[in-house]
Amino acid sequence: MTGPVEILATAVMARRRRSRRFSLLFQAGIAALVLWSLEAIVIGDTDWSRITLASVGRALGRFAEFDWRLMPDLLEPALETVLMATLATLLGLLLAIPVAWLGAANISPVGRVTYVLGRGLMTLSRSIHEMVWGLVFVAAVGLGALAGILAMSLRSIGFISKMVAEAIEDVDTGPIEAMRAAGGNRFQVLLYAIVPQVLPVVLGSIIFEWDVNVRRSTIMGLVGAGGLGLALHRQIVSYNYGGIVAVILIILGIILIGEVASNRARQAVL
Amino acid sequence: MPTTTSSAPWPISPAMPPVLEICDLRVSYVAGPEVLKGISFAVGADEFVAIIGSSGAGKSTLIRCVNRLVEPSHGRVLFNGRDMLRLDSGDLRRERRNIGMIFQQFNLIERMSVIDNVLTGRLGHTGTLRSLFRMFRREDIERAVRLLDRFGLAEHIDKRADQLSGGQRQRVGIARALIQNPGLLLVDEPTSSLDPKISREVMALIRDAAREFAIPVLCNIHDVALALEFGTRVIGLQGGRVMFDAPAAEVDQIVLNRIYNMEVL
Ligand SMILES: Nc1ncnc2c1ncn2[C@@H]1O[C@H](COP(=O)(O)OP(=O)(O)OP(=O)(O)O)[C@@H](O)[C@H]1O
Ligand SMILES: [Mg+2]
Repeated sequence: MTGPVEILATAVMARRRRSRRFSLLFQAGIAALVLWSLEAIVIGDTDWSRITLASVGRALGRFAEFDWRLMPDLLEPALETVLMATLATLLGLLLAIPVAWLGAANISPVGRVTYVLGRGLMTLSRSIHEMVWGLVFVAAVGLGALAGILAMSLRSIGFISKMVAEAIEDVDTGPIEAMRAAGGNRFQVLLYAIVPQVLPVVLGSIIFEWDVNVRRSTIMGLVGAGGLGLALHRQIVSYNYGGIVAVILIILGIILIGEVASNRARQAVL
Repeated sequence: MPTTTSSAPWPISPAMPPVLEICDLRVSYVAGPEVLKGISFAVGADEFVAIIGSSGAGKSTLIRCVNRLVEPSHGRVLFNGRDMLRLDSGDLRRERRNIGMIFQQFNLIERMSVIDNVLTGRLGHTGTLRSLFRMFRREDIERAVRLLDRFGLAEHIDKRADQLSGGQRQRVGIARALIQNPGLLLVDEPTSSLDPKISREVMALIRDAAREFAIPVLCNIHDVALALEFGTRVIGLQGGRVMFDAPAAEVDQIVLNRIYNMEVL
């Protein structure tokens, strides 16, 4: 005898079997894709006759040297790298605030049009690599740190404004109503009901972005936009492997320091 | 229930014009059915009007129409003779300064200090530049301190609002409304987030302050016992209409059963 429970159970079983079959098919598809891309771009595209144990060993051996003489000359660009990251983050924040205002659906000034504009600016900023911006600004303002700062700050707008806009969209509307009910104007509502609520997100995202900008600024010099990257570039073009190692170690040190500093800052803020 | 022992000031004396007069108020939210279907009543200067009614009856909507946090689609809301619904945004903001509001969820700014929260009640009287730097006037600060002291919060003045208990936070909310020096208090379920003992304390606080400063009160309240205890007059809403409107002392079980359709009591 088949009661309603049995009928239901049969239906559930069938549904589960179908979804299992589908996920197996899906996994097989992924595996095929991975194998095909390995064959197409790695196996077929590499000059395997060039790679021997000896050649790899020789290349790695060169990197075991370390050029101590270079160290004093690297201190100034190292400092410049950190300062570039800091200035770029602050400038990025300054530029991100109006973009976040446009791109937050609930407070966007003219509604749909400005919202789309804000979101568009965010995507634009995030989708163009800082090295590309770097090339643009080196052409525009010349070699040096300024080009790097401008490039990185444009890149920072995207992340900061996206985080802040989303925080604005998530604010508790209670305080907003309270400020309006007390006769507050638009600016006062923004200042008292919204800013305090999004402040933790603002601080959190500029700390995160500073950390990222420290990494970015270590290589901005590769396109002539200031910082340690320029030193790295010089060592690379003169095949001075010991020098390359020295620069890379300094970069590593800066990034570690940045990591520690941003962790400390995050703990202090949140 | 005897109706003769009422100390409620009812009916209001004809010499005294009502502070608030609501005429044929209708509201529908976007593309929905009417939530308020023609509400009319007047509130005198010394009244504490408790609005009761089951969930969804339209109590919050009604109260929020008075200061136009909700835009009515039809009717008149006369506050001291001025029709709130005809004000442009600048005049509306000026008129809102004279109407204090107390909320169920307190609606404090959690990350701001207790005293700054109270001072936001003065935003309507504070210039934009001053408010940017939180430069409130000395007399406002004195008033805030006095109110907080009155509500037993003197030692919490500089604490962040989110460090207070529910009852304490609602007191901050009440102080914020009172510092406006309002001519009317709108109160939306002030006790729903509080336990019964604190609820009565908070209601007493609102009533006593309203009496002392002679502010009429329009107060939504789920709890019928609290409505009867603190209200001088009770308005029952059901399905967006006024089902009854009577001095608190005249409300009896039969009326209440009618209003709640036997489902709540
Ligand atoms: N912002 C809104 N948009 C659409 N409909 C709404 C909105 N606010 C309230 N409503 C509807 O209006 C009706 C009345 O709601 P209202 O909040 O005024 O009732 P209430 O009496 O305060 O109820 P409660 O006791 O639950 O607070 C409800 O049917 C509700 O769903
Ligand atoms: Mg309500």
